[in-house]
Amino acid sequence: MSELLANLALGFSVAAHPYNIGFCLLGALVGTLVGVLPGIGTVATVAMLLPITFGLPPVGALIMLAGIYYGAQYGGSTTSVLVNIPGEATSVVTCLDGHQMARQGRAGAALSIAAIGSFFAGCVSTVLVAALGVPLTSIALLFGPAEYFSLMVLGLIFAVVLAKGSVLKAIAMILTGLLLSMVGSDLETGAGRMTFDIAELSDGIGFTNVAMGVFGFAEIIRNLEMSQESRDIVKAKIKGLMPTRQDLIDSSGAIARGTILGSLLGILPGGGAVVASFAAYTFEKRISRTPERFGRGAIEGVAAPESANNAAAQTSFIPLLTLGIPPNAVMALMVGAMTIHGIVPGPQVMTKQPELFWGMIASMWLGNLMLVIINLPLVGVWVSLLRVPYRLLYPSIIVFCCIGIYSINNSPTDVVIAAIFGLVGYWLTKHEFEPAPLVLAFVLGPLMEENLRRAMLIARGDATVFATRPISAGLLAVALFLLVLAALPMIRKRRDEVFVE
Amino acid sequence: MSEGAKTSANGGGFRFKVRGPRDFYGGLALIALAIIAIWASGDLPGTHGFAFGPGTAPRLFAGLLAIVGALVALGGLLFDGPPLDSYAIRGPAWVILAILAFAGMIRGFNLGFVSIPPLGLVPSTFAAFMISIFGSSEMRWIESLIAAAVMTAFCVGLFVYLLQLPFQLWPWY
Repeated sequence: MSELLANLALGFSVAAHPYNIGFCLLGALVGTLVGVLPGIGTVATVAMLLPITFGLPPVGALIMLAGIYYGAQYGGSTTSVLVNIPGEATSVVTCLDGHQMARQGRAGAALSIAAIGSFFAGCVSTVLVAALGVPLTSIALLFGPAEYFSLMVLGLIFAVVLAKGSVLKAIAMILTGLLLSMVGSDLETGAGRMTFDIAELSDGIGFTNVAMGVFGFAEIIRNLEMSQESRDIVKAKIKGLMPTRQDLIDSSGAIARGTILGSLLGILPGGGAVVASFAAYTFEKRISRTPERFGRGAIEGVAAPESANNAAAQTSFIPLLTLGIPPNAVMALMVGAMTIHGIVPGPQVMTKQPELFWGMIASMWLGNLMLVIINLPLVGVWVSLLRVPYRLLYPSIIVFCCIGIYSINNSPTDVVIAAIFGLVGYWLTKHEFEPAPLVLAFVLGPLMEENLRRAMLIARGDATVFATRPISAGLLAVALFLLVLAALPMIRKRRDEVFVE
Repeated sequence: MSEGAKTSANGGGFRFKVRGPRDFYGGLALIALAIIAIWASGDLPGTHGFAFGPGTAPRLFAGLLAIVGALVALGGLLFDGPPLDSYAIRGPAWVILAILAFAGMIRGFNLGFVSIPPLGLVPSTFAAFMISIFGSSEMRWIESLIAAAVMTAFCVGLFVYLLQLPFQLWPWY
């Protein structure tokens, strides 16, 4: 316990450094600013803003990225409430009741309760991350190549389960992502693989190029197809920023339950935040004495999913920081950022760079505090930003992305590759393939291949090693179970019902 | 179900209707990708004793992709699905053109038959903004020009002065 406090104290001494507070504040501000734009989700926001952290020292850069992440997530909720356009999957449920509240002129209350719920969830889950970090790191030491491989399989299966639509198509996307990640030099022999003798491909395809292409550019192309009305926004005046005493009483239970549910689901690899918000909403509705109020502006319907997704966002750092495995696309971007700064994510981060590890944990709490500070007074500003017409907004986003990609390697080829992936992303949505599993697999690809090769070598070519080592076998069994569960059409139907409500 | 394409079977003159064209053609494209990958990694050494060679994993995953792609296509053949969505031309074309213009102008390029010198950040940003404007049918000249200038100034301020990234700003410097 005292060790935990000492560690947290170390963390806060790092995070509370004026520079780092500044980075955190700036990150949360910019993240909210970009995340609030309709049609730009958390992943796109983080991908876009990643380059601006490159010039910073590693600790500052990661703290700023964490700030951007929370900001983007909160920004997404703001858009959901005000304009009924979820910027990302996690705020889809927030739309249901949040937007109804906005129509009743209670957007202020909805936004405030979302901020308060998120802050409470953030406080609880920060302590949880700090408490679970150490024990989970010791578990990580039991992991050999076979276990790592199986764990990554589990993570990818989670991405499959959570993808909308067909399980088979999500698996296809995973395989495509793995295949794309193998372009470039071989890890062990340095042989150029599938490079078609193009010199620029010998280093592989950059992750940012893929992410900005399939998320950023493809999103813009898709939005341009839509008519103007579908992007239109509520022009109603927001009256009364603060929730009433009754609102607070109504939502306190929902916030607590959402926090617990979110914290638990966030630890699982594979994108816990989305499930968390859906699960919290469904749970609230089920236990409510007046379920008919849900979908008509019930404040619990905003409080629970918002708390849950923030708690999950926080605890999803656990697999990243302790095992080095990104549980979702945003964390995958974080791995990219760490690698650029020369940090290999994993259990050694905590022992070798304790100030980074604990600083980041402390900055999570600070990031949440920043969100409350920034967002409560700035709601009016976000609304006015939404009034920028899309015909001026999207060229700005394109230019911003171009410069961002170019700045990573000063390479125009990277920009061209991103453009190609923009078209690929557009094609994927036309055929109802989801890009998120592809991107996650693209990031995990090299790690997976390395561990697969190592495990096979150690086992002297015996592929049964994955089933005979207990931890590995357990992980694969869970993965298989999940896959079966997702493939059962009945479950699918039930999932769609949640969506329809 | 859809007005989608039909494929005719050999021999008996049966005509199969593609019930879910989105899945069918999506699956076919994945198979094509897998075949390209297998072909492209064909020259790489494979498994050697216990050790994977550089070519093992790509061929392994490409093979799996071909199988899954075939299943997706088969599903599209057998089960009803939505018709193919139409592709917009205007938006994608101008957006991609804008991005390519940025990539080509910022450092210049030389393709043998055509080459341009490095033009720097300011012209590239301005041009990319103005080209992408045409992707929407709602464009207005004066407004766009002002917005392009403002955005260019903002980017120069943010990336060059605030973040100190080493960009060439103008063609001559």
